[in-house]
Amino acid sequence: MEIDDKGTDNNERTADHLLQWTQWQLLDSILPTGGFAHSYGLEAAIQARIVSSPQNLKSFIIQVLENTATLLLPFVHCANKSPDIDNYAKLDKLLEATLTNEVGRKASASQGAALLRVAASVFSEAPLLRKIRESFMGSREVSFHHAPVFGLICGLTGFDSGTSQRAYMFITMRDVISAATRLNLVGPLGASVLQHEIAPVAEETVRRWMDRSVEEAFQTAPLLDTVQGCHSYLFSRLFCS
Amino acid sequence: MNSSPFSSRPASCVEREREREREMEEATGMARVEKVRGRSTVTRCFSKYPLKLILPKKVGSVHVDAVWIYTLSYGGGIVSGDRVSCRISVGDGCTAAMTTQASTKVYKSVDSKCSEQILAARIGKDALLAVIPDPVTCFSTARYSQKQVFRLFSDSNLVVVDWITSGRHESGEKWDFEHYRSTNHIFLEEEQPLFLDSVVLEQKSSVSIAERMQQYHVIAMVVILGPRLKHTQNQIQDEVKKMMSGQFRLPTSTSGRYARSESKHCQIPPPFIASCSSFGPQAVGLVIRVAATTTESVYMFLRHHLASLEPFLGVAPYFQSGR
Repeated sequence: MEIDDKGTDNNERTADHLLQWTQWQLLDSILPTGGFAHSYGLEAAIQARIVSSPQNLKSFIIQVLENTATLLLPFVHCANKSPDIDNYAKLDKLLEATLTNEVGRKASASQGAALLRVAASVFSEAPLLRKIRESFMGSREVSFHHAPVFGLICGLTGFDSGTSQRAYMFITMRDVISAATRLNLVGPLGASVLQHEIAPVAEETVRRWMDRSVEEAFQTAPLLDTVQGCHSYLFSRLFCS
Repeated sequence: MNSSPFSSRPASCVEREREREREMEEATGMARVEKVRGRSTVTRCFSKYPLKLILPKKVGSVHVDAVWIYTLSYGGGIVSGDRVSCRISVGDGCTAAMTTQASTKVYKSVDSKCSEQILAARIGKDALLAVIPDPVTCFSTARYSQKQVFRLFSDSNLVVVDWITSGRHESGEKWDFEHYRSTNHIFLEEEQPLFLDSVVLEQKSSVSIAERMQQYHVIAMVVILGPRLKHTQNQIQDEVKKMMSGQFRLPTSTSGRYARSESKHCQIPPPFIASCSSFGPQAVGLVIRVAATTTESVYMFLRHHLASLEPFLGVAPYFQSGR
């Protein structure tokens, strides 16, 4: 009896520890998901002189995070809660209609498709990922938007919803700050300092907006949305969005 | 509850009927546009406090088949706690324009009460609805929520202008209201979502509304949808791209991190920013988003870019407003 209990205990602990490795890998920037091809509107904002100083870079990042929380976390949450094929397809379709900014919508679809491609190969313990990818590849029905793909992967690999939503905010922040360094707005050390400074704000934002239904999704930064829409008008650009 | 599977259908029909009745009771206004002897005609119309619907006899040329509906509010604005709910249906092949006579003022909130404006519209096959109001102006501390839901067919046509200003500039207000929400939903047949947009501006977030808006005083959105408006869509897309292309500048690499050495002029953001996004299958819809420093510049933009609607509506939108 005792030995059995210990055995189960050990197994559980091993599973927990393995989950941590999966989590770190999913959030690691080495995962080839193409996140660094996107600046979340920062490049257009710089060229429009909307962002020109460290103060308004910080404000920009906080606004991007808040907009991510109110607009996209509901999709991460709902995909995480029921990671099945029908729910996933429904969420993707809703998000396609919800992302009204063409630049942002295309960015979301290409990031999501890349992430699902990688995850379907890497996380073979979740065969549904491969199945979903194969079922909808080349179909017009599903666009593979990023937030529901991320929620789905988290749900299938065993992240709880809260962790998934926090993680989604983390990778968004990671990618925007990385874009800021490549656009020469901050140096690498300054960027890390900024990331740590913003973390408490990001946490507060997650807490305020987490666990909401997709019907409640909305955007909060109409000026930045307008500016991001101009990305394709830029004469020269580093990023896809 | 009756558990028989056969009873579920009539029960839900009754429920739906009741819901419809309730909606009608709650509605403060409704209008129905149908073809009568081949012309778009308002066949039913009612409104009650705090909404007034006005149907002017002649707005444009008699040779154009369109009805115009003006929505007015008593006392020229929406008082805290007011709920305006309007339903409009535009029958197959009909054309209707809905507009206002002046900006919609949302007065200061009393006891944190929210004012609400709801529009539910059905647009028939090959019909056109243009919702082309003046902007909403929320006074300091105001709380306002607006929801517009459009149900239409793949060959229906729709123009929606939805815009907000920063407040009463003359009283020194700048994005001083408490809460603003604007939702625009467009559904195709069988409740297929085509465009689901909600914008919320709230004072109690990490960054104040004024900080988010920087020096801009107006935020506008224009939706243009449908086969009859393809030409208008293409024209706006081309012109906006042309207008905006000259507005962006690369920070010069020699001038250091924040381009401090650039002349002052080069650091000022453009006073008028617009961008276009296609949406829907086969890019059937177009949404234009605008941020501007003055209301007049947005009126000019709308007058210019919506002028091609004149043949459908009899008068060019915003022809007389904002002057």
